[in-house]
Amino acid sequence: MLSVDLSNGLHEELESLALRNKARAIGVALHDLETGFRFSLRGDRWFHAASTIKVAVLLAVFRAVDEGRLRLGDSLHVRNRFFSAAGGTVFHVSADRDATPELYQSIGRTAKISSLAHTMISGSSNLATNLLLDFVGVDYARTVLRLAQVCGVELRRGVEDHAAHETGINNEATANGLLALLSAIRGDFLTNESKREVIGILLEQRFNSMIPAGLPPHATVAHKTGEISTACHDIGIVYLPEREPYIAVVLTEFDPDTEGRRETVAAISETIYRSLLGEKPKSNED
Amino acid sequence: MRTEFLRAVDGLRLPEEYRALLRPGETETDSLGNVHHLPRFFYEISSWKEAQDIQLAPHFTLAELMLVDCREARLLLSQFPHYVPCAIVLLARFLEDFRREVDAPLFISANGGYRSPAHQIGGAKSIHAWGTAANVYRIGDTFLSDARSIEKYRTIAASLSPAVFARQFGREQGQTDDHLHIDLGFVSLTPRECSEAG
Repeated sequence: MLSVDLSNGLHEELESLALRNKARAIGVALHDLETGFRFSLRGDRWFHAASTIKVAVLLAVFRAVDEGRLRLGDSLHVRNRFFSAAGGTVFHVSADRDATPELYQSIGRTAKISSLAHTMISGSSNLATNLLLDFVGVDYARTVLRLAQVCGVELRRGVEDHAAHETGINNEATANGLLALLSAIRGDFLTNESKREVIGILLEQRFNSMIPAGLPPHATVAHKTGEISTACHDIGIVYLPEREPYIAVVLTEFDPDTEGRRETVAAISETIYRSLLGEKPKSNED
Repeated sequence: MRTEFLRAVDGLRLPEEYRALLRPGETETDSLGNVHHLPRFFYEISSWKEAQDIQLAPHFTLAELMLVDCREARLLLSQFPHYVPCAIVLLARFLEDFRREVDAPLFISANGGYRSPAHQIGGAKSIHAWGTAANVYRIGDTFLSDARSIEKYRTIAASLSPAVFARQFGREQGQTDDHLHIDLGFVSLTPRECSEAG
């Protein structure tokens, strides 16, 4: 199939899928490393980044490692006390809202930076994220994004910073921006050792009901999900043994309490897979 | 109390790279504008195992009072010897009294005991650089993260000696909301075998 046909077909299918599933908006970006095919649907529309921003923090941490600013084996004081990007007031993250409440048992003690990086991604820990971002600094993380030539990812604050949210200071991203971020991870921006480590961390993702759910069982995905009341995202690198990987970014926005949000992202993932490989994902039973 | 490993050294005689970080005897102005002399005499600790073995008080090892994270200067973090101000023995003694009074184990947080003047948190302006301050984040099963628990234990700690200062609960400068900060002031200790000449 010609890439223009592929693009048009995919565009049409995704638009109709979004409509059927009552998505307020979707943003999709794609880069197939097997064929070089690139695709984007509203790739420059800004979304609340939700937990996908943690991938930007991960990149900053490993860039800091590569620069010798920190070591993965270093220990960091686990403390649930952060300063808001809006006025510097103190805020805490909530164990009840954190997907990894275990880390809260370490408050007062220390945790290795490598362990925090794993927990931030695989368990989407808000506490681990804020600890790492507080340590490397928002300014440094933004500099890293700039150096990596990632436009379209605005990292402005830690997570659960409600005071900042109230004043409109949020982490935002476009599909194209997050595609650039994953491309930077896969490219030459990090040392080979850090690149392997970062992709290894993303492969350990525990929340697999979106991009991976739309793929055949033999696919593996290095990815990060992100969900808040109105946003439901998944971004990742899809590995298939028979071919080169492809990078997919799926951002969605719904009215709060809309059901089937994750299923919509999974359906978009399946549509992408089918379009690129020209076949439906085969289940184990086939 | 097992303190036979303790070896006091004069900070002024340490190699230059250590003196640059520990700043023995140098003056420093605190946040109120008061001038203090940083500690000059230190115990030299040759390994983490040794710090764990040094029992400064029945329930406090030296290791508990010198646990820092990677905000500490690299030289003082990842390699030995480490140097800890001699006044840390007074802190341990006070903590033991406090523990007896509250009748429960005290848990000192990372970065909550001695931090060098080169530590990124507070640096030389922090009383933690004197080895006479402790941040207690848990007493028994109680995490000190609310006004009630912090004020309760603050009152008890302050009642033990007029030399003890404990920060009030709050989120303003000089207050705490996730631990109890207690300190004995800017105390320096000169071991009797050491000379302050020169």
